[in-house]
Amino acid sequence: MGDGPLGADAMARLAEPALALRGRDGEVEGVEVVVRRAAQGVARFANSQLIQHVDTETVDVSIRVVARGGRVGVVGVTGGEPGEVAAAAADALAVARLAPEDLEFPGLAPAAPVRTIPADPRTLAASPADRAAAVAALLAEVPADVDAAGAYETGGLELGVFTSAGQAVTSLLSHAALTTVLSGPSSSGYAEAGGRSVAEIDPAALGRRARGKVLAGVDPVEVDPGTWAVVLEPPATGTLVQFLAYLGFSGRAQQEGRAFTSERLGEAALDPAITIVDDALDAGTVGLPFDAEGTPKQRVELVRDGVLHAVVHDRATGAHAGTGSTGHGLPAPNTWGPMAVNPLLRAGDGGSVDDLVAGCERGLLVTRFHYTNVVEPIETVLTGMTRDGTFLVEDGRVTRAVRNLRFTQSVLGALAAVESLSTETGYASELFSGSRSPALRLPAFTFSSTTTFG
Amino acid sequence: MDELARLALDEAVSAGAGYTDVRAVREETESVAVQDQRLDGVERRSTRGIGIRVLVDGSWGFAATARLTRPAVLNAARRAVEVARASATVQRSPVRLAPVAPVRDTYATPFAVDPFGVGLDDKLALLFAATAAAKQVRGLTLARASTDAWRTTKRFLSSDGADISQTIVQVAGGVECTAVDGSEVQTRSFPNSFRGYCGTGGWEDVTALDLAARAPGYAEEAVALLSAPHLPAGPQTLVLAGDQLALQVHESVGHPTELDRILGYEAAYAGTSFLTPDDAGRLRYGSPLVNLTLDTTTPRALGTYAYDDEGVPAGRHPLVVDGLLAGFLTSRETAPTLGSEARSNGTMRADSWESIPLIRMTNIHLEPGEGTLEELLSDTGEGVFLTTNRSWSIDDKRVNFAFGCEVAYEIRNGRLGRRYRNPTYSGRTTEFWGSCDAIAGPAAWQVYGTPNCGKGQPPQTARVAHGAAPARFRDVQVGSA
Repeated sequence: MGDGPLGADAMARLAEPALALRGRDGEVEGVEVVVRRAAQGVARFANSQLIQHVDTETVDVSIRVVARGGRVGVVGVTGGEPGEVAAAAADALAVARLAPEDLEFPGLAPAAPVRTIPADPRTLAASPADRAAAVAALLAEVPADVDAAGAYETGGLELGVFTSAGQAVTSLLSHAALTTVLSGPSSSGYAEAGGRSVAEIDPAALGRRARGKVLAGVDPVEVDPGTWAVVLEPPATGTLVQFLAYLGFSGRAQQEGRAFTSERLGEAALDPAITIVDDALDAGTVGLPFDAEGTPKQRVELVRDGVLHAVVHDRATGAHAGTGSTGHGLPAPNTWGPMAVNPLLRAGDGGSVDDLVAGCERGLLVTRFHYTNVVEPIETVLTGMTRDGTFLVEDGRVTRAVRNLRFTQSVLGALAAVESLSTETGYASELFSGSRSPALRLPAFTFSSTTTFG
Repeated sequence: MDELARLALDEAVSAGAGYTDVRAVREETESVAVQDQRLDGVERRSTRGIGIRVLVDGSWGFAATARLTRPAVLNAARRAVEVARASATVQRSPVRLAPVAPVRDTYATPFAVDPFGVGLDDKLALLFAATAAAKQVRGLTLARASTDAWRTTKRFLSSDGADISQTIVQVAGGVECTAVDGSEVQTRSFPNSFRGYCGTGGWEDVTALDLAARAPGYAEEAVALLSAPHLPAGPQTLVLAGDQLALQVHESVGHPTELDRILGYEAAYAGTSFLTPDDAGRLRYGSPLVNLTLDTTTPRALGTYAYDDEGVPAGRHPLVVDGLLAGFLTSRETAPTLGSEARSNGTMRADSWESIPLIRMTNIHLEPGEGTLEELLSDTGEGVFLTTNRSWSIDDKRVNFAFGCEVAYEIRNGRLGRRYRNPTYSGRTTEFWGSCDAIAGPAAWQVYGTPNCGKGQPPQTARVAHGAAPARFRDVQVGSA
């Protein structure tokens, strides 16, 4: 993909023309340069053939200049020629000069060490032919009367953050993900895998898993909406966890009174079995060791044994809270504030998804949710649809497929009582990043309507 | 960059590509956001690069690079061919393109005042005036205001001989007023949620909003909503404002009529559609009052351009006529599935030089009916009126939908009455459009920009638009979050 990683030295050289502004102009209090190179290939398939296949490479440089009085300007350029970087830095200073003073500006990240996570060379070098072969391996598992769709993505993300306050960190992240939906005449099935390496993905196994779903899902029946016991597989659990992190655990929303944590931090709001940490360095997720401000990422316990424990911070909200940044800053300028983008729900001891089903007298097994959105942010009420495999559970067994249902449910309410968490976990991508979660069995989950297909 | 684009085209053809197109794109953006009297962020970005799309043995390949050197561009052209050759090993049926006459042309969206020529101090003054006016309202917690400008310059070359240059300038501006009381948060947005007004045009469109004059009324409403009752649940006669109808059109008409979705291309991600290609001319989409049109030529609309990213000219095409499904959004690849004479109606767009073009909505309009909003309300008698989108969700075949709005008003004796907070409504697509029994006329019809339409893998964000006038729907399930 592209011409290969830039490397730490080349990234530092790209940053130099902008950092030089600090010494040349007395009005400049600080300069931050973020260099990003993204190279990725995505092979997209539908109707059991490759339909789109892209191979792209981009280099972006983003420059934040802080002028006297905490006045900030941000300018970004693509391409990264030295002349373009110098011009962008001058433009950022011009913007900063016009910006109002911000006497609360917390300054730029100082020097601090970060952990190194080695990238996987095989993933970085994956070729178009490698991706095509992986898709072919998955398609080999697909029955003739079933259409397969999905995407296989491989790539490398290289990020460097350099500040005039002394921080200079770079990292190269490899990533791969394969998702598939198999569609039959009356049903569909889903499977997903992802991680830092192509070695974590077994295309044929994914094909078999999705095949099991589509075959089990034929001729779905309609069930009444209402409150059901549910077993949520990891992709469905991941949706709830990522929306919870998004809505409640940004330091800015918490400080501005716009999040449930604004008034409830420290409260035992969830079942004691629920512990959620945000940890970009966990082997089970995909993340960089520092944030877009160059601050090392910390492991933050968002929920500890059911208690709403802590929110994440960038430099601005960390200064306001008096705790400092936790390394969750987004690229400047950032109107959202910090974000917990690698939430992990701690697994339980409930065994497999089948074991969770075995403990359910009557309920629904949900593979995943679709097009979930926020209805009410403080109460964390979400609505969305089930998709690609929803089943009726009776007497501890899956007895038949059901048509998709719309859920309208508070996440806080759903996680307030948990019957069991699986021992196994799965990686799922939703919203802005990925999560790793076990399956859950919940005694009550509200479905508000049904649809006409499985 | 133009010379390198030509080089890429020649290299891809030399390397064995059949059809090839190359886009050399430069996009500049400026976003300014304030909260109360504090700067939330000023950001300028410029991005440029070359994307090369090739067909080899009936399979697509695409490569893109930001490195604007001859070796990098030549390498990208060869990579595109390599990608296509790899894809051809997993092929069932080769891609066949509907013909299009190659065009040589230039186009630019009109504006009076270049938004990139307006000083940052002027933009900040406008936004701070708006938030200051809003904060005059007692009980308001936060006021946010923002403005955005985008300028996209692209050159499209194809191996068929097309050579098209377009410059598209788009602007946005708006204000959001948020009131917080304990665990209750209420926001009212002007003139719309999600970045406010969005359209092609110039700075004059932002100043015409008169944000400072309008903000206090929305701030008062946000505060009032804190103590408003919830909307009682049950079936109701529903009148939707144009801003909410725009998103209703987007989700329940625009997406399901995209032919690539209908053909299964998006099955694994955004989903498919309840429609089939055979439904055109047969399927009753809505009541006889319902007419929906794809119109890429609408002046000042956010999805307006002269040619799509396959070089197909913009145009006006019916999607639903008198309630009957009449057509789809198509591309050169998908149109032939409708018949050998079918042609693309020019909806293919990529959101960047590094993205492939996909079928996108451009501008999809609900055509106006008759009368004013006041006449519509008067004729309604009893019901509820909902405005300004707050949340949206729809299933993967675009049937079962649920929307939330910022505010509802009771309609009593033909006039707007008390407010309700956190209103929602839900339904199924054809039942809902079938229940439409009144649409207000041209004087109430407006175009609303939607700057955040997501589709594709890797994900792309398109800026699209929808025209609508307030309309009435019978027996719709409403409620409250």
